[in-house]
Amino acid sequence: MFTPGSKYFLGLTGLSLVAAVLYMIFVNPSDMGAYALFGLMISGGLVAGFSFFTRDGDADTAQDAVEAASYAPGSSFWPLVFALGIAVVLLGLVTHQIVFVLGIAVLVGGGVEWAVQNWAERASADGGYNDLVRHRAIGALDYPGLATVALGIIAYLFSRVMLTASKSGAAVIFIIVATIVLVIGFAFALKPSLRGRATALTVTVGMLALAVAGIASALSGERAELAEYAEAKHYDKSHRECGEEEGKYYDHEANNTVSLRSAVLATVFVEDGKVRAQMIGLKKDVDTITIPRSNSTNILFRNLDEEDHRLVVNLGTEVVAETGVKEKVGTCTQLTGQNQEQVLTVKIPKPSSDEQVYSFTVPGAEGEIKVVVP
Amino acid sequence: MSHIEPAQTKEKAMDTVTPVKSTRRRFATTVTGLSAAVFLAGCATNAPQDTFVPKGPNAKLIDDLQMIVFPIAGIVGVIVLALAGYIFLKFRDKGQAIPSQAHGKPVVEITLTVIPALILTVVGVFTFRGIFDLAKTEDTELIINVTGQQWWWEYDYPVQADLGINQPIISSGQLVIPVGTKVLLRETSRDVIHSYWIPALNGKKDAVPGRIHLLRLEADKPGIYAGQCTEFCGLSHANMRMEAVALSKEDFAKWVANQQKPYTPPAAGTLAAEGETTYINQCSRCHQVNGLKDANGKPIISAPDENVYSGAAPNLSHLMSRNTFAGAMFDLVNEECRADVWGAKSEEFGAKYLKGVTEDCLNEKDLRAWLRNAPAMKPMYADPTKLEPTGGKYRGMPNLGLTEDDIDKLVAYLLTLK
Repeated sequence: MFTPGSKYFLGLTGLSLVAAVLYMIFVNPSDMGAYALFGLMISGGLVAGFSFFTRDGDADTAQDAVEAASYAPGSSFWPLVFALGIAVVLLGLVTHQIVFVLGIAVLVGGGVEWAVQNWAERASADGGYNDLVRHRAIGALDYPGLATVALGIIAYLFSRVMLTASKSGAAVIFIIVATIVLVIGFAFALKPSLRGRATALTVTVGMLALAVAGIASALSGERAELAEYAEAKHYDKSHRECGEEEGKYYDHEANNTVSLRSAVLATVFVEDGKVRAQMIGLKKDVDTITIPRSNSTNILFRNLDEEDHRLVVNLGTEVVAETGVKEKVGTCTQLTGQNQEQVLTVKIPKPSSDEQVYSFTVPGAEGEIKVVVP
Repeated sequence: MSHIEPAQTKEKAMDTVTPVKSTRRRFATTVTGLSAAVFLAGCATNAPQDTFVPKGPNAKLIDDLQMIVFPIAGIVGVIVLALAGYIFLKFRDKGQAIPSQAHGKPVVEITLTVIPALILTVVGVFTFRGIFDLAKTEDTELIINVTGQQWWWEYDYPVQADLGINQPIISSGQLVIPVGTKVLLRETSRDVIHSYWIPALNGKKDAVPGRIHLLRLEADKPGIYAGQCTEFCGLSHANMRMEAVALSKEDFAKWVANQQKPYTPPAAGTLAAEGETTYINQCSRCHQVNGLKDANGKPIISAPDENVYSGAAPNLSHLMSRNTFAGAMFDLVNEECRADVWGAKSEEFGAKYLKGVTEDCLNEKDLRAWLRNAPAMKPMYADPTKLEPTGGKYRGMPNLGLTEDDIDKLVAYLLTLK
């Protein structure tokens, strides 16, 4: 059954697999060696398959092995898709997981289509009947599959355009595109005679326009504002400025609405320039909040003043390993406008003591709320 | 095709009927026996987690509701089962012809829809009223943070000057509350979902990591009320117990005062003093004792977050003012003293409980066994060779490999933590 050539390559495939697994266990599970051995395994398997199918290139034997069919099938692009899948899988092994997964999808899709087409072409000597057989076997998956791919491409290209255009420009583009789609939809609905060629023409023009715009946008990159955010790491800890003034990065586009309500231990208010606090379940002001040790705890900050304020939690001091200097430790919310809220999540692993004093303060407002950690 | 004579048929039938009858009899006996056992279990007198014996207004509210709903549900259940049984027997297959099949009987259908709807509406009105009453928080008089972790409960009492709590109190195993006081528990968890339930005082409420759930408790009389974690939370879920201790307001004030007393180190040269050193070396990495200082006078701050998966271990300050340890799985007092406290009359209960654990009342056997090898006493993930899933951190207390001398010293020291 197996030819000498296919046996050789099957052996190579098995050996590569064993070598790859051993390499991953004993050497390194994620370096180039493992990828190379997996690549060798896939290549070996592929060549073994070809070798087996063509009876080691012996046309006479292969002819005997394959059921004779007088029908001569046309060309197929599925082998190309399959090959593309292999290339993408290999590329994915050395680049990114998502590329690998994409490659597997292309590989499996191309392989299945190729196999079914091959099977259907040998169903009879009638080409039309063979097409029908193929359609019955896999036709139901063709359209959803193609539609998924097409929608993915459209979404990706459109997203490139929206990320490149300015904020207001993106809104205008969205409105124009939606209007065009609506108008064309109405036109097709009112004039059924427009369907057919007009539909094909519209879709082709639309896709071409989108492809050109998407590629051009991808090449020109995201709009400056987004590029700057990514570059400057606005919400990075190093940019968390907890003073009274507006910070250059951290306070940019603060989100001043809070959805979590059932997970808040206490609320700190600033009103008439003074800080006060209430604990959940107790309808009176307190000057001390007790926070359980080593547990993430949410504190709601509500600014009732006209001026913008932020809540700061002071977590004592800590010696910086690099410099040996004692520095203040703490964190804060973003600057919060009038009648707006933010949540501060704190997790304090050490109990408070005379040496370890914790508190909540609001820069620019009077008073502080002591924090006790038992 | 085989043919059986009538006489043969009868004989064969006799052969087959006997075992069937015997099987049925056995089945009936088993079911009756089991039902009787379940029924008789309801007569148990020593049932501290009985849901039908409310000891506070919140539990009473639930009890009032269930005392209406259960009989209604019971009567409906009996009627439905009796009808079903009657139909099974009356119309069982006896070889009769299949009766004509009719579709639709509006009067019956409407009646059978309207009656349950009315019953559910009445039950629903009272249930919703009960739910809203139980969710009230505006009249809270005392708040306590309750934090669950595998497999024990931590209680911390935030500063509430009007109740004499001027510095936070932290405890575990036993929740202490004043009688006739509207207590609000703010529940959360450090690891997985747990559920807090003291049946005599209220229904259950889940403790969920990252969330704070509120549960009201109020006790009418002084006493100890038992509870149990009711959300499966891992290996020792069944051993995650708790007790709520209700004290008169005067006794609660004494308890608060005691909990805020500063740490008193044992007298130099005593076994307890040696135990303090052993404690510092062996236990203080995880267990905090407030006020404990090292040889240089520097406060010792435990670091359970570095050693324990949940980030916490029970704070042992005033340990001997509690009656339990190891997540309330074991008693710190021996059986005799425990019976004395649990069985005390209301007016005597406070004084007996506040005595704490004296030397003659100490349950030394269990405490020593725990110190000798804790994982052998309570199933925990405390095998040092199997800590990979938790990044090297323990869930529960590991075996510390203490010598008998160490244990003697530690027991002597722990007895001083009143």
